[in-house]
Amino acid sequence: MVKYALQRIVYMFFVFMIISFMSFVLIRMLPLPALAPNDPHTTILEIRREALGYNKPYLEQFWIFIKGIVTKWDWGTSEKLFIGRDVWGVFVEKLPASMIVNLYSILWTIPVGIALGVLAALKKNTWVDYTISTLTMVVISVPSFVYAFLIQYILCFKLRWFPFVMKGGTDYFSWAMFKSIVPPILALSFGVIAGFCRTTRAELTEVLTSEFMLLARTKGLTKTQATVRHALRNCFVVVVPAIFGEFIGIIGGSLIIENIFSIPGVGNLTINAIRATDYNVFMLSTCFYTAIGLAAGLVVDISYGFIDPRIRMGSKK
Amino acid sequence: MTTMKRALALILALIMTCAVFAGCSKAGVKDSDITAFDENAKYTYTSWASGLASNWNPHDYEDANSSDMMSYLIDSFYTFAFNDELHPMEDETRTPFDGYVIIPSMAADMPVDVTKEVAKEHPDWVPEGAESGYAWAIPMRKDLYFDTGYHITANSYVEGMKRILNPDYQNYRSTDVYENTYGIVGAKDYFFQGTESFQSFSDMGTTYDDYIANGGSDADVVIDIGGFWGIQTAEGKTYESIASETEIRDPAVEEGQPEDYVSAKYLWDNYLGPNSTSGYYEAGYTNQYAGTVKVYEDNVNFDDVVGFYAKDDYTLVEVFNASCSGFTLFYNAIQDSLVLVEPDVYDKCITTQADGTYASSYMTSVETSPSYGPYSLTDYQTGKLAHFSRNDKWYGYKDNVNNVYKDPEDGNIYRLYQTTDIEIQVLAENSTAKNMFLSGDLISYGLQAADMNEYRNSDYCYDTPGPQIFFMLLTGNIDGLNAREAADGFDQTKEDIQTITCESFRKAFAVSFDRQAYCDETSPSLTPGFGIFGKTIIYDPDTAAYYRDTDVAKQALCDFYSVDVSQFASLDDAVNSITGYDPEAAKELYAAAFQESLDAGYITDADNDGKCDQTINIIYAVGSDNITDTMRLRSEWMDNAIVKAVEGTPFEGKVHIVLSSPLGSGNEFAEALKSGSCDVCLCGWDGSAMDPYNLLQAYTWDSYSYAANWYHPQQDMLTLTINGEEITMSVYDWAEAVTGNDTTVNGKTYNFGTNDADQETRMHILAGVEGKLLQTFTYIPFANNGSKMLLSQKVYYVTEDYNAVMGRGGIAYLKYNYNDEEWAAYCEQQIAEHGQLQY
Repeated sequence: MVKYALQRIVYMFFVFMIISFMSFVLIRMLPLPALAPNDPHTTILEIRREALGYNKPYLEQFWIFIKGIVTKWDWGTSEKLFIGRDVWGVFVEKLPASMIVNLYSILWTIPVGIALGVLAALKKNTWVDYTISTLTMVVISVPSFVYAFLIQYILCFKLRWFPFVMKGGTDYFSWAMFKSIVPPILALSFGVIAGFCRTTRAELTEVLTSEFMLLARTKGLTKTQATVRHALRNCFVVVVPAIFGEFIGIIGGSLIIENIFSIPGVGNLTINAIRATDYNVFMLSTCFYTAIGLAAGLVVDISYGFIDPRIRMGSKK
Repeated sequence: MTTMKRALALILALIMTCAVFAGCSKAGVKDSDITAFDENAKYTYTSWASGLASNWNPHDYEDANSSDMMSYLIDSFYTFAFNDELHPMEDETRTPFDGYVIIPSMAADMPVDVTKEVAKEHPDWVPEGAESGYAWAIPMRKDLYFDTGYHITANSYVEGMKRILNPDYQNYRSTDVYENTYGIVGAKDYFFQGTESFQSFSDMGTTYDDYIANGGSDADVVIDIGGFWGIQTAEGKTYESIASETEIRDPAVEEGQPEDYVSAKYLWDNYLGPNSTSGYYEAGYTNQYAGTVKVYEDNVNFDDVVGFYAKDDYTLVEVFNASCSGFTLFYNAIQDSLVLVEPDVYDKCITTQADGTYASSYMTSVETSPSYGPYSLTDYQTGKLAHFSRNDKWYGYKDNVNNVYKDPEDGNIYRLYQTTDIEIQVLAENSTAKNMFLSGDLISYGLQAADMNEYRNSDYCYDTPGPQIFFMLLTGNIDGLNAREAADGFDQTKEDIQTITCESFRKAFAVSFDRQAYCDETSPSLTPGFGIFGKTIIYDPDTAAYYRDTDVAKQALCDFYSVDVSQFASLDDAVNSITGYDPEAAKELYAAAFQESLDAGYITDADNDGKCDQTINIIYAVGSDNITDTMRLRSEWMDNAIVKAVEGTPFEGKVHIVLSSPLGSGNEFAEALKSGSCDVCLCGWDGSAMDPYNLLQAYTWDSYSYAANWYHPQQDMLTLTINGEEITMSVYDWAEAVTGNDTTVNGKTYNFGTNDADQETRMHILAGVEGKLLQTFTYIPFANNGSKMLLSQKVYYVTEDYNAVMGRGGIAYLKYNYNDEEWAAYCEQQIAEHGQLQY
């Protein structure tokens, strides 16, 4: 397992470098915004572009970029979106807001989603199952921003239970902050709950009808014992990687929800960086998410081995 | 133009923020005469924006969001104040708060002309023989401080100037100091020291012919190949000697096609040189795109070359490239707000990057934002919020001379800036802002089309007209349209687009839209627009008089729209009768356009049924990153209108307006129109709100003009009678002459600039050029911009009347009905009773 993991880490590094280089070249191949002729500022912008190495070969530019990171952890300065600011500082400043909202969301959606899925599977073909399944379909079919607006209108405007938008500041664990992020948490949660519920119900329903479950019951286990000890564990082979996937989403942020609830997160950073051709911001966010994605893939793969003993990583036999 | 826009936006923001102080007696009013606000109460101005600036460094800011932030933190030597008893206008007929006066702010007094003095000390800074208007000494207040405690003296400005012009820093705003007409003497030499650059004959204030006549040599002449042809040499140079035969690849032309490789000599021989047959030489392009190489001396000393120095601790001397005085001196020339920075903080914010360039984090956070304005930045979160609180070190809060005004309603004297705190938060959704406003969380809310029926008649609804005209810009680039039709996938038997270049079609198109209905149904904050210049364009800054209100401007519209003034009781009635909509005339013109297009071979009528065989899909360019509901609504409205307009004509059912894909939020839409890859868009120019003459460049300079590829103002002749003399020259030349540039026609030089012609003459020229531009049917005026907003019951304006310079007073004059505590209680009670605040 260790050897397998190390091998994957080496592969990861190469894949990371290839993706980074491709992203670097592709973003720099995008045409820069046209400069207005006769606008006196055009001269300054041309001088800047020259000084920033925009006219140098891509390989040389990439080398300067990598050298800055390796030697000084210098990801460069934002040239458009946050002019003059160190992009790593901006990114780190924005990351917690996205993480906190998504983390709270995940923390309650996983147990609720799984519980509803288990309940629906155990009560299969009863009104409970029908109700949960129907609600799940409805919730999955409606985009999260629709809930966001409904939640904001009903809970914040009409009932005045919560503030309209996320509170400013960095006191992420204060009561006032928590109260202000309940609406986005709710908006983010419905879809995730429905997703977990559906996955859990489908897997558990299948496992519950397996022959080994019959064997477990005939060995004298109660239905609860058989379900908890055997059915749920098998069903988690599919559910747990999905949980990991959701955790990765935590740091990804949500473009629309962040906009609606004014969450100063990283949700639209990459898209804005592409639009503004802010190279350094784009490269940092791309590298960050590439690294996270690759690492998550590794974690998910390894987790299979722990969850399901039948799966052994790197085994030749 | 963007530059101008941003610079003006900043100045106006400053005016609104720092407006007032002075004009009254130096002694000022007694403290006991001032009606005090509750010192212990908080008055918070809560506003919102869809985006928040990330950088508000005066040396390096680039957008309007930045100038908004900056406006609270900076101040200026001179500012505007409403006219009242304490600051009266010279014109005694004016009533309080119907105009404005220019008064000292950070300056202790009005500037003193020291041209003669400077000419003696630095003869190279002032033109020989000049005695006034070039050098001005500004006496400064002695109680000026940054909120860091740094004492501001004349030398602080010099230090700021050294930094903004530091060649290593490449500050974006350095150009505003060295480049504009009234740039600081020597600033450009200091900034570009040790480099060389292209300078056109126009920049040099001469022409190619004069240059050669005065002994210049062709050997020294270069072409701006970057600007003229969009190419550069292998070394990356954008100019090249006219003798160079080095072939340069033109990436815009497919390999193997004509002119895929061109040399500077080729461009000179075929386009720009006096022997070329392209017409460019005659049209004046040579002076714009040809010139010489200027070599800037290296290692120059700031004090020796830059006309910006401290005469003593509290007197700053500025020397300008051009003579100026009056409004121009205060508004365009004096460099202060852009220049002044807190040097200690500034220097700490400079860092060197991995690539060797410099970056500055000055004014990007609370810690790096020293303030010398009325407010200090006390909280800032990127992309989320900014909070400003009173800057107690600001002199204005203790000043009884300029920092006070007499309320026109109650006659009491108050201090400016009742607002103690300003909070700006980022909201992406309009619906959120509306709900927050109705809950008392925001001071104002800009009305959307869907809100109009409910709120347009509210007592709290304010209508603000704008200076900008949105026109339907209809492409006339026949080459571009031909190329589109020739491309694969375009079936010329079923589709056509060339017809939109037919004059009759363009005239028909212009009268096909009911502008009032358009505004009512799609954009209620707009009003119909009929000219090139909007309602609040000021032609005389001294009196804040609007160009559109003048007889000459009204007559220009009546002439263009064929309104017989004699049929009306007054010129006002005549101009008010203009709708720009004439469905009957449109149908006749479409019939004529059908024949014109048939004759040109653009369309066919194979079955001779008198109907066009092709469909004309006019592509409406979307200058945005995405298509909004409003854009869709407007496009659909226009499509319905054009479909209705062509009913009963040979084009019935054959003309449509369709939305393009989003072209991005930059200038891409303009490029699409210019190239002919899109056909129409709704756009306009702003900026120069107090200088319509300067705004003419947007239509006459190829570098700005949307229509540069098909409308050539250098060749469009206009005859006007000036002081009894009938003068004929091109629209371009008229525009140049009226903006103060010497223009030679038939051996005679004309200049109708501020200093050389009276206002009446200049207006006459302006109206003449406006009429001529309208006749191109390229710029089809559609709507005048404006906005409608609800103002919170928490506050009120000291005057209800809108003034294009002062607005309604901005933050400086804003008054409060409730302090924060009272407001919270009031909102709670109202919401308990009605569910929301009642507007």
